[in-house]
Order: sequence, then C-alpha cells, then structure tokens
Amino acid sequence: MSTPRPEVTAPGPWHQPRPREVILDNGLRLLTLDLPGQEVIACRTVVPVSLSEEDPAHEGATAMLARLLDEGAGGLGPEEFALALERHGAVLGAGVVEGGLSVDLDVPARHLAAALALLADALAEPLLPESEVRRVLRNRVAEYDHESSSAPHRAARELIATMWSPRCRASRPTAGRPETIEAIDREVLRARHARVLPAGSTLVVSGNLRGLDVPALVGDTLGRWQATGVAARAVAPEPAPDAARIVLVDRPGSVQSEFAIGCPAPGRSDEQWAAFPVLAYLIGGSPNARIDALLREDKGYTYGIRAAMRPRAVGGSFVVSGSVRREVTAEALTLLLGELDRAREGFAAPELARGVDFITRAQPGRWGTSDAVADEFAALALEGLPLDQPERSMAAMQALVPDDLSSAMARLGVDGWSIVLVADAETVFEPLRASGVGPIQLVRS
Amino acid sequence: MPLDYPLHERTLPNGLRVIVSPDPLVPTVTVNIWVGVGSRHEVAGRTGFAHLFEHLMFQGSQNVASGEHFEALLAVGARLNATTWFDRSNYFETVPTGALDLALWLEADRHGRLLDAVNQANLDNQRDVVKEEKRQRYDNPPYGQMLPDLYAVLFPEGHPYHHATIGSMDDLDAATLEDVHAFFRRWYGPNNMVLTLCGDLTAEEGFAAAEKFFGPLPASATPVPRPPAVPARLEAPRRFERVGAVPHDRLTIGFRLPVDQTPQFHAAALALDVLGGLASSRLVRRLVRGSQEALSVRATAWGLVDGASIGFLTLDVAPGVDPHGVEAVVVEELLRLAAEGPTPDELDAARAQTERAFLTALAAQDERADLISHYALLHDDPGLVNRHLDDVLAVTADQIRDAAAEHLHPDQRVVVAHLREGEDQ
Repeated sequence: MSTPRPEVTAPGPWHQPRPREVILDNGLRLLTLDLPGQEVIACRTVVPVSLSEEDPAHEGATAMLARLLDEGAGGLGPEEFALALERHGAVLGAGVVEGGLSVDLDVPARHLAAALALLADALAEPLLPESEVRRVLRNRVAEYDHESSSAPHRAARELIATMWSPRCRASRPTAGRPETIEAIDREVLRARHARVLPAGSTLVVSGNLRGLDVPALVGDTLGRWQATGVAARAVAPEPAPDAARIVLVDRPGSVQSEFAIGCPAPGRSDEQWAAFPVLAYLIGGSPNARIDALLREDKGYTYGIRAAMRPRAVGGSFVVSGSVRREVTAEALTLLLGELDRAREGFAAPELARGVDFITRAQPGRWGTSDAVADEFAALALEGLPLDQPERSMAAMQALVPDDLSSAMARLGVDGWSIVLVADAETVFEPLRASGVGPIQLVRS
Repeated sequence: MPLDYPLHERTLPNGLRVIVSPDPLVPTVTVNIWVGVGSRHEVAGRTGFAHLFEHLMFQGSQNVASGEHFEALLAVGARLNATTWFDRSNYFETVPTGALDLALWLEADRHGRLLDAVNQANLDNQRDVVKEEKRQRYDNPPYGQMLPDLYAVLFPEGHPYHHATIGSMDDLDAATLEDVHAFFRRWYGPNNMVLTLCGDLTAEEGFAAAEKFFGPLPASATPVPRPPAVPARLEAPRRFERVGAVPHDRLTIGFRLPVDQTPQFHAAALALDVLGGLASSRLVRRLVRGSQEALSVRATAWGLVDGASIGFLTLDVAPGVDPHGVEAVVVEELLRLAAEGPTPDELDAARAQTERAFLTALAAQDERADLISHYALLHDDPGLVNRHLDDVLAVTADQIRDAAAEHLHPDQRVVVAHLREGEDQ
C-alpha cells in the first residue's frame, strides 16, 4: 500500500543576503558576504570595459587581454605565476562580455591574502610576454575552427550576425575572428589594458570570512592598484534591419539539425523584467515546458530544446536553441514556430502560477555556495543594478497576472524571428522550402 | 585534519541505507538516491539499457502520471535530474524543506511501484529521446566518439567498461517491455540503494520521513553479486585511429588504473595532474608553452570499482604539427615521472588543487549529498566524505613515482587518435 500523497507546506520567509559595501581610495568598490561553512572563497572582479571601443581591425583584443592576464604578472614569469597560484590552491579565470571584463578567483580561505596579491598583479601589471601573446592569439584562431565545426557554437555565431546590425559590435564574436586576431600585437593589448581601471570596478568576496579582515587584505593588494581614466560605458546593441530571416548554415553529414531562434529583448533593468524569465521558463525552460512537452515528450524529436532570456549589460535577447534529428527538421521548425505563436495567445493563471512558483521557490537554493553568491553580485554590478534586485524581482514575479505575460510576449519577435539552422543542407533544404516557412538563405561554410 | 560534516546513518528493515547530513545554511533539502546498477551490469545486446531505464523513471508509476514527477517538483521550486554512469544510477532533487515529503513520496512510488505505469508508448518515446541524446552528445559533435573509442580499446570485449553508458543504436532498438520488467525486478528496490538527505533538517526528521515513505516497500531487488572484473595487465601499446571532419588532430592517451579509493589510485590521479592536469604541469610547460606543438593538454582520472579505473591525457595537436612527435614527448615525460617522481613544488601544486576542487564540490549541498551516497553505495563508507581529502593529501612523492611506473608506463598506453581528414599522416 502506498502512503497518501503529502501536502506541501509553504516555504518560510526568506531574505536575499546583502553584502557589506566599501569604496576604496582608488575607486574600487568592495562587496563582501560572509557565508559560514563555505571554505573556498569566491572573488569576482568586474571591470567596466566596452567591446565597442575596440578598433574594428582588432576585434577580440579585450578577450585576448583577459586570457593573458595570468600569463605572468608582478615580476613573475608565466610558469612562475601559474605555479604560485596553484601552490596556493587558487584558480584564476577571466572573460569578457560587452560592458565588462570579469576576473574570477577561487581559493581556500587560508590562502586568500596571497591569492589577492596575485589577482592584483594580474589586473595591474600583466606581463604580456611576447611568446604567450603569440600562443594565445594562435590558440584563438584554432578555437574559432573548433567553434565552426561545433553545431551549437556555429549556430550562436550566425544568430548574432543575423539578429544584430553589422554596424554594432554585438553582431560579431566577442573573442574576435581569425583576420582580426592575426592583426593584434602586444601594443594593441597594452592599449586595451590601459582601459582596465580600478575606478568603477567591483570586487565581490564571499565565503567563510570568519577571522579574515577582508577590507584590509584587499586594501593591501587591489587597493594599491593605481590607474586613471574614465570608466567605459556599455553600449546597447542595435537590431539588424533585416533580422527577421531564415539562415541555413550547411554542415554536411550532420545527423541532427541545430536551431537558434532569437530576437532582441529587454535586460534586467527593464520595468517589465519580472515577466520575461517566467515567460521563457513556460515556453522552454524545462522538460515539461511547452516546447519539450510537444517536441520531446510527445514527438520524441529532440533530447531537449531550451528557451532563455540572455540579459546583457544593456538590453538583451531571447533565444530558443537545441537540436532535432535531421529527418524531422522542417516539421520541427513549424512546430517550434507554432509554439512561439501560441505563446501570443496568452497563458492561463495556473500555468503562470507554475512558472512563478518554480522561479521564486527555487531562489533560496541558488544562494547556498560562495561562487553562486559572488556570481550573482558580480552580474548585478556589471549590469549596474541595485544589490536587492533579485529580491525585488521575486516580489514583482509574485504579483504578475496573465496579462503581464501577454504584454511581455508582445515585445518579443514582433517583427519576426531570426532563425538559424546548422544542418546538412542537402537533406533538409528541400523539405524546409516545401514547408512554406519562408525564403531560406543558404550559407556554405 | 579530517573534515567534520555531520553524518547520521540508519538501515531500514527492508535494507534501505539512509544517511542524513544536517546543514541549515539555506532552507532546502537535497534528496539523493544511488541505485547499485550502471552500464557495467548490462548484458551483451542490451548496451545503453540502464540509461534508457533511468529515462523511464520519469514516465510515471503506480500513483504518478507520466511527466508528473517533473511537473510536481518543479512547481515547488525543485532542481532535479538523474544520471547513469558505469557503476551506478542516481536520482536527485533539491527542494524547499516544505516539499521534502512530496519528494520522498514521488521517489518511493517510482522506486517501488514503477511497472504498473510502463507501457510500449512511453518506452518507444523515451527510446527516441535517448537516441537524440546520443546523436547530440556523441554522433553530431566533432570528437564525439572519443570516449566510446577509448573504452573499446582500453578494455576487452565483455569487460564491464568496454562500452559507453549511452550504448548502441541497435541495442536501444532491441529493448523490449519485458527487458524493462526484468531489469526493474533485478536491480531496483530498497535493498540495492542508498538514500541521502542533506540540508535543513535533523537526523530524526530525516529518518522518520524515510521510514514513512520507503518503509512499506519490500526488499525487492535481486542483484547477483560477482567478483570484480580485474583486466589483465596491458603489455604493449594499443592504437586506434579515426579520420574525419575534425578541426585539429586530437590524441587521447588512456590507462587502466587501480580501483577507486586505494592509495594506488590516488597516487596515479596525482601523477596525471603533474603530467597534464594543472596550468603548471609538465606537458603544459613543454608542449603548450614551450614548443607550442599542442594547443592544450588535459588530464582526467575517473575512480571506478569494477576491477579497474580509467585515466587519460587529452592533447589537441597544433595545426601542421605531427601528432607522432607530440606522442613521443608524452612517452618521454611518462618515463621521466616514473623514474624521478614529482618535485616538491609539483607535489604541493597537485595537492593544493585537489584540495580546492574537493572543497568546492562539498560546498554545494547537492554535490555533497551525491558524494555521501557515492561513498556509501560503492565503498560502504559514507565517512569518506570527511576523510577522502586526507587520504589523497597523504600520498607521497615516492608513491606518485611508483604509480607512474606501475600504471602509467608507456607500454601500457592506449592511444586513440582522431585525425583531421585530408592531412598527411
């Protein structure tokens, strides 16, 4: 005999953790949050930089600089620097998006002081040695080849080229293309580094901080980072005038067809933001969301297709992505677009409640580790949002009514969708054409 | 010094091993179940079945409709999934504390009363979904066959680790409803599983909830124990080449390692880190930064229990460079480590990185629960969650040297080369 199905008791009150905030003399903003039991300290540095400032001939220079920050710094050569980090159990990673350079450090608490000194050196005085510059640039060209051969990466690259205006940086790969990478040298990287400034930057430190005087440790390290200039501002991407089209990138022999369907969308600072993550979740955020209920659980065409909001420092996009077996490509695209159309017909109150309940009730669990908490505050800093934005957004979600989702949906894909397929053109082109989905632009690459 | 995560353990009369680890940081509980069946238990002609079966666990049970497991848990804010691996299958969700009973009720229903709901339609549907998973992960991406190739060359036909968990298309096609019934009866039941509850609850609350929902289930599993499948030592290198549409040549150099949670395995894993697992590793210094003949080097060691573990180095060869030359350097470095062992700096770095990686894994409630279930099911010792790190940190330079000599000797290597079409080899 089975026990009767239990009732769920409502979650208790939960308040989003708030960090302590200090501004150092050099303009660096320090956010600290003590999380008992979290023995690996997460440090996230966000430096405002704009990729739109890159010389078009040298696109990717900021990303290459990020990759070179830990290739020797502060008097240590590349191998010595790597060993110094690793002997302290530290790992350092850096990356770039429009609006920000992020440098992440994770380190056991007892090595925090030494690791912060290395982080400060990487930010303030990277060595950029010629041999490592050559290697990192060459590896990017090789990475570009890898991305060209991987269907999801290739689709993502074609989607930005389709969705955003060719006049704007957002339409091209963050880390550059072979022709721009090959034009970069050490002087270009030096010039980009001159835009890496403490003023306007944020350092988040979270974890078990008991017994650690973090402001003093940071003051002795990143507090001594001196560089002057005016911090960069993120630039909003501009949609392409012909964004609503279908592009088929030929990938001969593909046994699956990769989709990327997108449109410009609001970012997290938008007044209506709260409705958008709920909308994306209900359309394609889980195996029982509308798209997978049809394409996976009913038809068996896919392992999973996801819809997601992709907020940027300013603005953002809504993207549906995933793959189906090639034999059903045309039908799957018709069904997918049908689900996006159906979303315009609105969502009933129970479906809305399911989405809101998932996102709001899952929220406390997302604040349980030092790295997750630091990532969240770093993202808020990058996007220039108040530190209580997640809690406010949860409250706004709980107040949503079905009409709010309809209004949000009315802002997505209004002029049509940018539709990219990476697939075996020989097999899928004719069925796609015959399906009447619209003109198809074929790209051989 | 051992870590001190609290562990409370009790075994129910039906054989279910329950472990509760209280942690009040956030108001959630992770429910983590490990079942003692993985792809190593599959029989010839039915590869991929353990994983296909795992998918069917989401398609309804006696009191739960198809898809309802996901729907009911997501609606309360759960994060959930399941995975299948060589040695086991796991099922897990992290829920707000008020939904713990619901999660356990849903788990007990599918782990005890699945077969009433299984039918041809949901078997056929999930077979299609799994085939798409195989195409997405293995058949469509460049280098997607690397790991299946490695397993097939590293272990002889019939060995439990000879085939990948995803299985083959032919075997997936061959699976029948009768197979589903037989598999469930053999492997599923409280006497072949571990339940870990980790989060904001007390030990007594956890035991009472486990007893309430799982207590009524009979000890229904009928696993047939067999001795570990210890493979013979490889005496000469083996090689497998696949030429195709890949962007660059990639070499995967694999080894049979000792079983998990032995000093020999820990030493071999650290040896692989010294060779290629760190930014300061020997092959990184020599081939990536130095000669720049490789774009990247990575090292992997998977601890397994059925007679052997798997370790491998992955090298992406730079365009225009002869992969044989790269392999020759790897051979030199394998021999040098076997002769000299690591330097004190290398040992420090490998230990410190192991420590951070393990502490990071334990930092997340869901990963900690998974490790506790892992150590309980496969090593009969959940306390390893507190001692494993000390065991690894106790490994000496001499042990690493000996492990390299014994288990990473070039004569025992298996090389899988995925080569770019149209280039001279």
